[in-house]
Amino acid sequence: MPSFLSVWLGRIGRELPLLLGGLAAVVLVLSVPMSGYATNIVMQATTYAVAVLGLTIVLGYAGQITLAQAAFFGIGAYAVAIGTVSLGLSFWGGLLLAMAASTVAGAVLGITSLRLGGHYLAMITIVFQQILSLVLTNWIEVSHGPDGIPGIPRPSLFGYTLSGSAGYLVFSIVCLTAVLIFVRILKHTRLGRSMEAVRDNELAASVAGVNTYRVKVVAFTLSALLGGIGGALFASGFSYVSPDQFSLAESIVFLTMALLGGAGSALGTAVGTVLLVLLPESLRFLKEIYMAVYGLSVILIMIFMPEGIAGFARRLTRRLRTPAVRPHHAPALHLHTVTSDHRDEPLLVVRGLAKHFGGLRALNNVDLAVRRNNIHALIGPNGSGKTTLVNVLSGIYKPTAGKIAFADEDVTGAAPHVLAGLGLSRTFQNIRLFRSMSCLENVMVGAQRPGNDLSDVHRDLVARSLAALHFVGMGDRADDSVANLSYGHQRMVEIARALAANPKLLLLDEPAAGLNLTEKQELVALLLRMKGLGLTILIIEHDMPLVEQVADSITVLNFGERISDGQPEAVLRDPAVISAYLGEGRAYAVA
Amino acid sequence: MDILLQLTFAGIGMGSIYALVALGLVLIYRATSVVNFAQGDFAMFAAFLMVLAHLHLGLPYWASFLVALAGMVAFGLIFNYGVYYPLRNRSYLPVLISTLGASIVIQNSVLAAYGPHPANLPGALSFQGFQVGSVFLDGQYLVIIAATAALVLLQHLFFEKTIVGKQLQATSQDKEMASLLGVPVKIMIAITFIYSAVLGGVAGVLVGPIIYVSIGMGGAIALKAFAATIIGGFGDIKGAIIGGVVLGIIETFGAAFISVPYKDAFAFIVLFAFLMVRPQGIFGEKIAEKA
Amino acid sequence: MRYAFTTTVLSALGAIMIVGAAHAADPIRIGMIAPITGGAAESGRNQINGAQMAADEVNAAGGVLGRKIELVIEDDQTTNPGAVLAFSKLTSDANNVAFIAPVRSTQVHAIAPDVLRNGKPVLFGGTDPRLTQLNNPWFFRFRPNDAISTKAMAEFGIKDLGKKKWAIIHTTDAFGASNVKLLTEALKEQGITPTLVQGFTSNSQDFTPIVLAVKQSGADIVASFTVQDTDQGVLAKQFRQFGVDAAWIGSPTIVATTTLKLAGPALYGTYALADYNPDSSPEATTFSENYRKRFNVQADFFSAWTYDAVKVAAVAIKNAGSTEPKALREALLAIKDVPGAEGPYSFNANGDGLHGYNVVRNQDGAIVFVKRVETVR
Repeated sequence: MPSFLSVWLGRIGRELPLLLGGLAAVVLVLSVPMSGYATNIVMQATTYAVAVLGLTIVLGYAGQITLAQAAFFGIGAYAVAIGTVSLGLSFWGGLLLAMAASTVAGAVLGITSLRLGGHYLAMITIVFQQILSLVLTNWIEVSHGPDGIPGIPRPSLFGYTLSGSAGYLVFSIVCLTAVLIFVRILKHTRLGRSMEAVRDNELAASVAGVNTYRVKVVAFTLSALLGGIGGALFASGFSYVSPDQFSLAESIVFLTMALLGGAGSALGTAVGTVLLVLLPESLRFLKEIYMAVYGLSVILIMIFMPEGIAGFARRLTRRLRTPAVRPHHAPALHLHTVTSDHRDEPLLVVRGLAKHFGGLRALNNVDLAVRRNNIHALIGPNGSGKTTLVNVLSGIYKPTAGKIAFADEDVTGAAPHVLAGLGLSRTFQNIRLFRSMSCLENVMVGAQRPGNDLSDVHRDLVARSLAALHFVGMGDRADDSVANLSYGHQRMVEIARALAANPKLLLLDEPAAGLNLTEKQELVALLLRMKGLGLTILIIEHDMPLVEQVADSITVLNFGERISDGQPEAVLRDPAVISAYLGEGRAYAVA
Repeated sequence: MDILLQLTFAGIGMGSIYALVALGLVLIYRATSVVNFAQGDFAMFAAFLMVLAHLHLGLPYWASFLVALAGMVAFGLIFNYGVYYPLRNRSYLPVLISTLGASIVIQNSVLAAYGPHPANLPGALSFQGFQVGSVFLDGQYLVIIAATAALVLLQHLFFEKTIVGKQLQATSQDKEMASLLGVPVKIMIAITFIYSAVLGGVAGVLVGPIIYVSIGMGGAIALKAFAATIIGGFGDIKGAIIGGVVLGIIETFGAAFISVPYKDAFAFIVLFAFLMVRPQGIFGEKIAEKA
Repeated sequence: MRYAFTTTVLSALGAIMIVGAAHAADPIRIGMIAPITGGAAESGRNQINGAQMAADEVNAAGGVLGRKIELVIEDDQTTNPGAVLAFSKLTSDANNVAFIAPVRSTQVHAIAPDVLRNGKPVLFGGTDPRLTQLNNPWFFRFRPNDAISTKAMAEFGIKDLGKKKWAIIHTTDAFGASNVKLLTEALKEQGITPTLVQGFTSNSQDFTPIVLAVKQSGADIVASFTVQDTDQGVLAKQFRQFGVDAAWIGSPTIVATTTLKLAGPALYGTYALADYNPDSSPEATTFSENYRKRFNVQADFFSAWTYDAVKVAAVAIKNAGSTEPKALREALLAIKDVPGAEGPYSFNANGDGLHGYNVVRNQDGAIVFVKRVETVR
């Protein structure tokens, strides 16, 4: 069974309360007679919520801002309006058109704009929003101009027309429940985890094998799609669309809805939407000043409820929840092992590598060969170019000159996620974890790298990740949030994340930094155990005793150039190495 | 030829308005890395203060101007402590939303307090403009162009020659470092907001006589001002000025020779093109590689 | 517990829906949708003033059927969805017997399906001719529609002013777009094709390109359809700055109170088609005087049509002898030559009540009545 199916089927059971909630809403709508006003409000809240759930994906999961959700909502609404009224399609035809149009629009905008982030993305989406408003107003032949399009029909289903308010409302609630469950489950899929990884730490996500750009585009497109579906439901529900319903102001309202509810939580988003649909309505008694009060509430929410209602509810219920119990026996970590006839053959070969930043030559003509199942140490004084070299090797920097071959393949200039896919994993000197995720989820992002030897089954992914956590001694903390861990434990989780990817080559950038003596000894043992699994390790380290204990060979850099290379004993006696360290004034006695 | 000159003048005139609002935007961005979505409403608020003082209380023009600016000082202070300060340690997003909320609050408070009627604010000078050949130079546009130039010069002197200006610069470049060097960062940021509010206020008072004083006057201008700052290079003062003028000229010519209803689209299409091809803007540094 | 939100919200809504029973001595309630906030908030205030004044006058004269008239006002935020919500809120109260709908045609279009479903008379001010051609029996228009105004405009410009070269400037919104079409047709009937037709988006801050195009076109008359008073003001100022001296005839905004205040001398000498003018009839004069006395501002068409709507509704309720929707509808359709501030009301089968337009002239800031053009109904 493919992974996504197993996740979906496994998760759907957990969404039972939500299904029941949807059912209860349906029963309520069918049994309680509602005035037209109440129907309109509920209809608005329901259809808006579908669109705002798109923001849960793009903003909540993937951490990208968009101020164009009303534009996609409008594209969906207009697709249904034009499809049914002008082209004579059925509602379902219009809905397909809406989904296609919003998906294409979202993908195109995402592909062109997601290489930039933050304020720029905010601006681009505003621009898109404004241009759409102008087009809807002025392209009269197609959009019917500012008059809008009235008389949009409602669908019929199994021969039963949903033209009545209650029937259509039931249909909308069913759609919303389905979308809500979809968005909630998405969070626990490979894609959802990749999105959250991108949100928490884009760089770490990319070296863990996540194609960050593609994940962002997918998130953006999915979000646009949900916007389109919401718009389609809205158009048919209100049977009338006009350009001013899809303005920038509406996009801002959508964004506020997501933030009020807590963008990262699908359920919170839905609650936020309902509240913000009701809020201006319930504030109507304020007449002239009610919009001012609305604006003030937005500011207060931002200040006092940073994670929205969902975050607030989480804090309240935290104490009530019992932590899940994990099996205490440690499943063995099975990684590929190097067969003895491959041992000591070169795995990574670097020739004439250079990296210049403007006039600064951080690396110059560096040669390096790392042999299979060896621990190879890279040492050198501060500023000698070690971290730059690791950054070039892991694809974060493009080399200025030189060749890199990995497992007999030329990988010069390859992107980080491509290298990760080929089996190159790394850790960072300043730890880069996905801070809002649990230990297990962090490691799973590593385990799910493309090209891993795992089957496509979710259970295997979890098993491998737990095994990796146990291997580094963090098995019992699997469900803890990484943000609560000590520094040393965070390091271990980061190593486990790299380990779970079953790398051919593991790059460790100063793993001993900030560790106390006991922890360092544990690290030495861990390194040797990892070697025992058949791994190849390239380690940057300042701690010479540690290096001596583990290294099979050493390369020394100084001022961006290789000054020594070979067996530890020979290298550490090399006069060039000694003078490099002493010249720098470091009081390190070479053994 | 006359028509081209006339259009160019109109473009530069509108462009100076965008530039003036963009100036305040850039200052706040440099000090706090926040894009202030209420900057246009600063202008609107000041223009209404001016209307109140000059038209309703009957104060002389320049006295009213001082009253309006004094009002903006208080306004900037309140904005700093009410909208920005509580969120200063969070990511850009909550602050951005908070300024959007502030924009709604400002517009609707003025609506509730003053009522919906737009007002006709007289210009700083009584002359209507010059006729040069067949080209008409609107007096108030000339005032705006002159004022923008003067403010840029003044700002330059302030930043480069005064201690407070240098401290502000330090704050905007590296808050932590500035703090270590004994710069009172909190006060500097408050000053930035006050200064931006005053700048926005000057823009509002100057623009009022041209497009009238109305609740919505700031919104449309602010959006163009954003576009101007990006075209010029975000955070770059001379970029914002040139971006504003370029934008004004492009949209005026676009309207004249391509389509009037799509006038606003030209500005945005140019912006889009910039973001695609040269996101760092005309004067911006190349966006740094991440490490 | 976490899943209970839908339930909570729905039951909260249930509470809103509970409707108290009506008592005989209760006032007759007329629901009114008006922009209290948003871009048209200013005209909203005038509309409410006009309606309130009419209700007070009716009540002072003893009310209708022994009951007072009471207005229930909801804000439409100057948006279409706002109008839809406001209307549904008003219709959810069964005590509201008739409704005053917005003056913006696009908002009336937006609520049209709900109006049909609700089945009670809706008195509106939108002037898009199609609104009374929707086969919606509950729509009653209290302003002359645009087909009438543009016909009057063409006739006055060509016959009275003797102008042949027309330039048309319009907003690209519903109002402007439909008027351009109608005026072009009306001119065509007189054998004239406009030399320039130029649209713009509302809230333009600069009109230099348009004004230069008008100047170049050599037009001897400009017809303008604008919505925002600020647009009208800037346009006027720039026309004068660039020395355009063509005759100018505009939609009602050109003589709206605020526009006159904003533009001042720049609009002197212009003509307007105005559905309301204080000098067009004795009723109009009385309304104007009373309105000024009460609100201390000049009455305009916004206040005039809502005033008429409430007044005529009161007459119809009295004639019908009940507030039952069908009877009320018949009574409204039977209204013939009932004088109002906007002119004499006679409803045709479509629900159009007015059939004439006033031509007025801005005489140094004062709006002077020129003539009334009645068309066949």
